[in-house]
Amino acid sequence: MDSAFITNLILASVRMATPLIFLSLAELYSQRAGLVHIGLEGLAAIGSLAGFLVSLITGNPLLGVLAGAAVGILVNMIYAYATVNLCAEQIVYGMAINIFAPALAAFIYRVYFGAGSELVQVGLMTTLSALLGVTSDNFVVRLLLDQTPMVYLAYGLVIFTAVYFNKTKSGLNYKAVGEYPKAAATLGINVVGVKYAASVICGALAGIGGAYLTTCYSTTYTDGNVAGRGFIALAAVIFGRWSAGGVLLACLFFGFCDALQIRLQVGSYGIPYQFFQMIPYIATVVVLTVIGMKKAGPKGVGKPYLREQR
Amino acid sequence: MKNKFVNILVPLISVLLAFVIGCVVMAALGANPFVALQALWTGAFGSMRNVGTTLARSTPLIFTGLCACFAYRCGVFNLGGEGQFIIGAVVCCFIATRSGLEGPAAIVLCLAAGALAGGLWAAIPGVLKIYRGQNEMIISIMLNYVATLFMGVVYTNWLRDGTVPQTAPVPDATKLSRLFGLRVTTAFILALVTGFLIYYFLFYTSKGFQLRAVGLNMTAAQFNGFAVKRYILMSFIVSGAIAGLGGSADLMGTQYRLINGYASGYGFDGVAMALIGQLHPLATILVAIFFAVLRVGSTTMQAATGVPTSVSDIIQALVIVFTVAGLAMVRLPQFKAATARMFAKKEAM
Amino acid sequence: MKKIFALILTLAMVLSLAACGGGNSGSGSSGDGGATPPAGGSSDGKTYKVAMICDSSISDGGWGMACYNAMVDAAAKYGWETEVSDSIAQSAYYESIVAFCDLGYDLIYAPGNQYTDAILQAAEEYPDIAFALLNGGADTPAKAANSNVTSLLPDSQQVGWIAGILAGLMTETGKVAFIGGMEIDTTKGKYAGFVESAEYVGQQEGKTVEALDVVYSGDFSASDKGIEFAKAMMDQGADVFFGDASAVDSGARQAIDEANAAAGSVKVYDIAQPGDFLGQNECIIGSQVTDNSGLVGLCMEAVENGTFGGETIFGTMQNGVLSCGKLSDLVPADVQEKYNSYISQVMDGTFMQ
Repeated sequence: MDSAFITNLILASVRMATPLIFLSLAELYSQRAGLVHIGLEGLAAIGSLAGFLVSLITGNPLLGVLAGAAVGILVNMIYAYATVNLCAEQIVYGMAINIFAPALAAFIYRVYFGAGSELVQVGLMTTLSALLGVTSDNFVVRLLLDQTPMVYLAYGLVIFTAVYFNKTKSGLNYKAVGEYPKAAATLGINVVGVKYAASVICGALAGIGGAYLTTCYSTTYTDGNVAGRGFIALAAVIFGRWSAGGVLLACLFFGFCDALQIRLQVGSYGIPYQFFQMIPYIATVVVLTVIGMKKAGPKGVGKPYLREQR
Repeated sequence: MKNKFVNILVPLISVLLAFVIGCVVMAALGANPFVALQALWTGAFGSMRNVGTTLARSTPLIFTGLCACFAYRCGVFNLGGEGQFIIGAVVCCFIATRSGLEGPAAIVLCLAAGALAGGLWAAIPGVLKIYRGQNEMIISIMLNYVATLFMGVVYTNWLRDGTVPQTAPVPDATKLSRLFGLRVTTAFILALVTGFLIYYFLFYTSKGFQLRAVGLNMTAAQFNGFAVKRYILMSFIVSGAIAGLGGSADLMGTQYRLINGYASGYGFDGVAMALIGQLHPLATILVAIFFAVLRVGSTTMQAATGVPTSVSDIIQALVIVFTVAGLAMVRLPQFKAATARMFAKKEAM
Repeated sequence: MKKIFALILTLAMVLSLAACGGGNSGSGSSGDGGATPPAGGSSDGKTYKVAMICDSSISDGGWGMACYNAMVDAAAKYGWETEVSDSIAQSAYYESIVAFCDLGYDLIYAPGNQYTDAILQAAEEYPDIAFALLNGGADTPAKAANSNVTSLLPDSQQVGWIAGILAGLMTETGKVAFIGGMEIDTTKGKYAGFVESAEYVGQQEGKTVEALDVVYSGDFSASDKGIEFAKAMMDQGADVFFGDASAVDSGARQAIDEANAAAGSVKVYDIAQPGDFLGQNECIIGSQVTDNSGLVGLCMEAVENGTFGGETIFGTMQNGVLSCGKLSDLVPADVQEKYNSYISQVMDGTFMQ
């Protein structure tokens, strides 16, 4: 365990946490409006494909990210319409999106590139240090500057979210929709509007989280590249107690687990790697057990909102 | 009467819609949709062998469907069917390959142990829900991942046998017997029996009535002096036991060994089937069989037309999307009011 | 409202199709592309058909793609029609195979030992259809009651040697690395061959070479894990990489390219397999090539002659199934010479004797 091991571990944790931050914030915005969304895996899959295709065609990864967000919103409108207007079961819709969106992504990739073609690679977003022309092996410089703009966006969004939910009236209204939609409606809050806004934000962030994988992380697209991050994000939201800061810490912790798992395998400590991969899930269960139900999530999560019943 | 009619009509229209879209896509790819639909039919029903395959395919889905159905009836969401199914299969695999027992006694022991293991695995979210107030959906999803990874440890390390990560097959003497020499085994009969038992329990016993009462209105049930917490915990354990039983029955029936990718998606499939089946055990069985028809048939459809495999995934997802939306829509107060007006008009004329 | 919603969805899908499909029509539907057989492909005028099943995508830039291309190439040579079902779930192996059997395919081609159970089951029920199992067990054909199953088994030790010799010659840090997908015996065999040959060659050249312990990504699609593994292994000093994990390998190459770019020159290398991937990434200095199409071709020939079944066809350098891809200019001329002489030792069976 030398210092290089630790600094590299920290850098890898930050790298692996970034897509989780986007996805967890997506989940947070959705749950704060009372919509539990287990379909982020699917939204991220289609977002990652859109990001890949657009950045390949235009040569501009930023446009790829925008496309990922747009497609994420589009697909999430299926979820929004069914769960908000039709009051359908949210869990089933999340699940349906998890089947539908990755299949659509795989389908589009196949139709566009054909079967058994060459491996297609795309250029990634440049890092800030490359833009500034800074090259340094210094740990702090690498941590702070050797990142793509998306990383700064992720952390910026965390701060924005924390301020928005705690310090602004609009944020408080938003949270009220997730807690007591009927009470919120009597206060004149447009409950359905907030839920739709939540779905737009959720779709966009989840799409960006997926697009991050193909515009900032990996140069290739493969089916299944989201690899369970959607569900880890779900765990991160609960682990982080539905607050932006907590979610950030949870993402960093899960990123750390992932990075550690890889390094422990390389160091070969003889423990089956599956045990390391269990950490995020077991940690979530344990933390929930210890903390108990005090200050659990939004009370209206998962429940349909029928305007007539108020 | 009208209600039942709508409940059958909506899924039918939804399936039709999903297939219309699927056919449009296939036509756009240059495949003949009629050839595709014909292949779908022959794939699922073309011969006795295919029927057997379809029924075999439906067996695990029936179990996870019933698992979800039972818990929902008590008002709790058990999304952990997959994990419970897997844990059941893992325990069954341990006993079948390591105990040295053989014959009917071993089969019964394996089934019982699988059910017990599934029940215990499901007790975790149940206990956490009633004593710690936790959200059972999230806990059970997390436990699915733990179970899948645990199965990974078992087939790559502990019980590995062969040149790829997998366990040894269960001994021949513990394999369930086939029906009419087809791929479908007595596990299917077991699934049907389980379904009927649940149906009987839920609708013809006082305990079943109380359980449904808890599911319909927890507060009222509590007010009436029902032991709500006990029912919740029991519904978790029983629903987990159903899934665990399914895991061991499927392992000894068709799967025989644990291998990478086993049981993936069964849990969520079960939830969808229970909901499309309107939480009725017998309807859930029918829906599960229907989905098996769709799966087996669409495999042949894909093979016959050469469209990408993802097309059949898309169609299946659309079936769920449309059906669940449709069923939710007909329950909306606005919709009920509108249809009531329509019927009233007709009568007036 | 629901109708409108459905309509929009249909429209969106069709539009996306029209937009995507326009450029390369025909390549989308996997089968028909390679279907037109050259005249006189088979002696009795019958057009034979081969179908492949695969649990990964055939567009994965790795295993799935290489195996699919192998089938298409062999089919083009023998005038066969091809079809494929890819990305299938474990629960659908058997059904997919049977679907092709029912459609009258002559040969079912399954690249991977994980399909063994399903293949044996189907082989029992369809005695007249030929089944080829790439990387199948050497003892699998004997288990088929109708002796209609053939295992195609490239020699994984030699695969490891072909890469390991180059790694042993090229490493400067004395550390070489291997990334595996799953703990499959063929992967383990490749790793073992890679390690022993790299160490041996290093010894011959008067340097100590050791291999880092093998790591497994646990799947074949997580290119991000390849990135992280490669970074962690470079931190440990590894400078020549070899792998057996499809898309994970391409992730590793990406990380190596990035590290080389940051260092200003190519100091860390990668050896590719199973096709000749020279030029795909800057860091690739050579490839170990497995001619799976030759193996599949042998099966097709046997089916046409009615002699198919019940054997294990090994793929070695000696029978031409295994070979070395082109070497990059990064490999100095004298090293290329040494490499070729080691390879000829493998050819005549004197390597490491």
